[in-house]
Amino acid sequence: MSRNPLIEKDGIFFCLFTSILWSMVILSLPVNAAVSQAMLDATPEAIQKGRAIYEDGCIFCHGIKGKGDGPAAFFGASYFSPRPNDFTVGQYKFRSTPSGKQPTGQDIFRTITNGIPGYMPSFGGLSQEERWQVVFYVTSLSESTVKGPIVTIPIGYSPIPPTPNSIAIGRQVYFQYECESCHGNNGLGDILDFGAVDLEDSFGLPIRPTDLDFTKLASFKNGSSARDIYRTLMTGLDGSPMPSFQDAFAGHEEDAWHLVNYIMSLSIRRQ
Amino acid sequence: MKESRKNISRLLRFSLLVIASGLMAPACWLVPSDSHAVPAFARKYNVNCTVCHTRPPRLNTFGERFLENGYQMPGTEDGGITKKRRLGDLTLDDVTNILAFRLRGNFLRNFDYARSSAGPGIAGNPEDRTDFGWPEKFNLFTTGTLTSNVGFFVEVESNIQSGETETDRAFVSFNNLGKHNLAHLRIGKIDPSAFMSFPTHRQQLEVVSVDLSGTVINRIPLLPNAFAAKMYGLKKRDGTAILPFQASLFNSPKETGLDIHGRPFGRWLLYQVGVLNGANETFGDSNNPKDWYVMVRLDQAESDLFSANISGFAYFGNNNAKVSTGSATPDVDWNRYGLAATLRYRMVDVYGAFVVDRVTNLPQALASSFDSTATGLTLEADVLATDRLLLSLRFDNLDAGGALAARKSNTLLAIQAKYYLRTNIALFVRDDFNMREAEGGASPARNFRNAFLIGADLIY
Repeated sequence: MSRNPLIEKDGIFFCLFTSILWSMVILSLPVNAAVSQAMLDATPEAIQKGRAIYEDGCIFCHGIKGKGDGPAAFFGASYFSPRPNDFTVGQYKFRSTPSGKQPTGQDIFRTITNGIPGYMPSFGGLSQEERWQVVFYVTSLSESTVKGPIVTIPIGYSPIPPTPNSIAIGRQVYFQYECESCHGNNGLGDILDFGAVDLEDSFGLPIRPTDLDFTKLASFKNGSSARDIYRTLMTGLDGSPMPSFQDAFAGHEEDAWHLVNYIMSLSIRRQ
Repeated sequence: MKESRKNISRLLRFSLLVIASGLMAPACWLVPSDSHAVPAFARKYNVNCTVCHTRPPRLNTFGERFLENGYQMPGTEDGGITKKRRLGDLTLDDVTNILAFRLRGNFLRNFDYARSSAGPGIAGNPEDRTDFGWPEKFNLFTTGTLTSNVGFFVEVESNIQSGETETDRAFVSFNNLGKHNLAHLRIGKIDPSAFMSFPTHRQQLEVVSVDLSGTVINRIPLLPNAFAAKMYGLKKRDGTAILPFQASLFNSPKETGLDIHGRPFGRWLLYQVGVLNGANETFGDSNNPKDWYVMVRLDQAESDLFSANISGFAYFGNNNAKVSTGSATPDVDWNRYGLAATLRYRMVDVYGAFVVDRVTNLPQALASSFDSTATGLTLEADVLATDRLLLSLRFDNLDAGGALAARKSNTLLAIQAKYYLRTNIALFVRDDFNMREAEGGASPARNFRNAFLIGADLIY
């Protein structure tokens, strides 16, 4: 019976390794907690204030009408994905809601606060109230925005510590769900000779599978904590080839957490 | 026969440029595309260089607003977002978030004469010349925000070949005074043209430094003619000559003073007013009154991957230069007026400036031998042909002014292919063509040579 070579390492290494992973999970908590503020009311006045802020700081990439066609939009990734989001379509990559559904205000707030590594800076310099006002304005740009209760996918915190056994199971899950068909056997995102295979985003732009290494600047655009990765797995990234695995993991969500542990271990091992 | 060989040489050189560009294009598809740019602001905000730049050093609209806002995100006053630490708690990340450098130069420089040009008694090298030069310039930047609405910028440039080191820019900025975007104040060694449509520092075809043999100019520098001094026979207040081909007045990067800019009427209009020592003096100021300037810029930057802006400025120099009448060196006023514009659409970035220099208070003795007006026109177009290949074309025209006996006008056409290994590492091939056969004589500009350059530009 073949065993994961990682399991054959000595105990000190495992303790260290596990401690690092747990530290990362714990360190991610304050960030998530910081954006969990009570939502303000989306009054017309708040929307107008949001518009003023948007036109001062956001139109350069997202355009005056929110179509993702601002004057600086082309230069972020040039001929490749991603481009700034088109808010008029109402499709969002970074959600806590099922694929194809609208994001919560908190989802948009989180993106404004944290930015998108590599492509969008954090606008955490705005006050929380100002960020919520921007959320209200941005969501008002789409006719399809759902006005009412939104069902979110429960994320929670990892119930499974990143033990060697969990990581080994996660690796099996990785291949079971054919993650390697895009991200490669070792998560490098190198299975595809870029340009040779037609992976495209919703703008029709070529897109490259992510290198699953959170030490790289733009690898995890939806966040690189365990919760962030879990959320990405469950929601998918609408508008990109990354699908939602919510249905696939239904009833055995612990497999998703094993997979998260495996994905996070890839970066540690490379270091 | 010799002329024929030169033509063949030029043809070969041009062919090399075309072939290099052709090789670069398919190479773009072989290199992975995860370009991560890195200088201090990119590190601090965890984004690629291309969030602010079309390609460094050119800014896109977002980068322009970041600059205007005192190195804070547009619409915010987030200078305090990076928590300050005690000295003992600093990490390497804390340091690299405010520290960056740029290393650039030409691996190979080839200059040739269109005609033999050394005049009687003129030293220097009259023959074609090829040499190796990299690296030529090293720039060290330390920049960032001290707290909300207080920014700083220091740039030290070292010419590695000559060993000279100078502080190009060093200032502190106080931003959003009174109201957001109402007024931003910069004090120190500032670059007045920073907010104009065509800033002096931001062009894809690098300035090529002057080549001297002692006090004799072997080769004039290559820089946008619009920014140059343009005048022959002007002197600094200490009596040394002002080279017609050095950035000056509004386009000088090294004058000490203060300026205020802002957008109190909305995003479509930017104003700027400033006052400088302005006498081409390293430190201090012996002229009185000071130089001052005003600039207004109109912007259209809302949607359709399109932006355009146009700027007009006037710079009033007061007793900021001298001329020689033979028996005396009286002060003159040296003013500058200019128009500049930028137009960007998708991958195309077109920009240019037309600048008029005028010398007033000219002594009567020089009335018939000194042209008090000079103009410079620079037009540049950059096209991002692929994700990694930037093609640039620049046209420069100078109708020189100053001493009629010495002045020489020129017209240059430059073409460049720049290949980005990453957004912060570029290799380039460039050719500058002298469009005028007006060489020879004793003028410092007798030796306009065609230039062929291969080099690298690294930013970290």
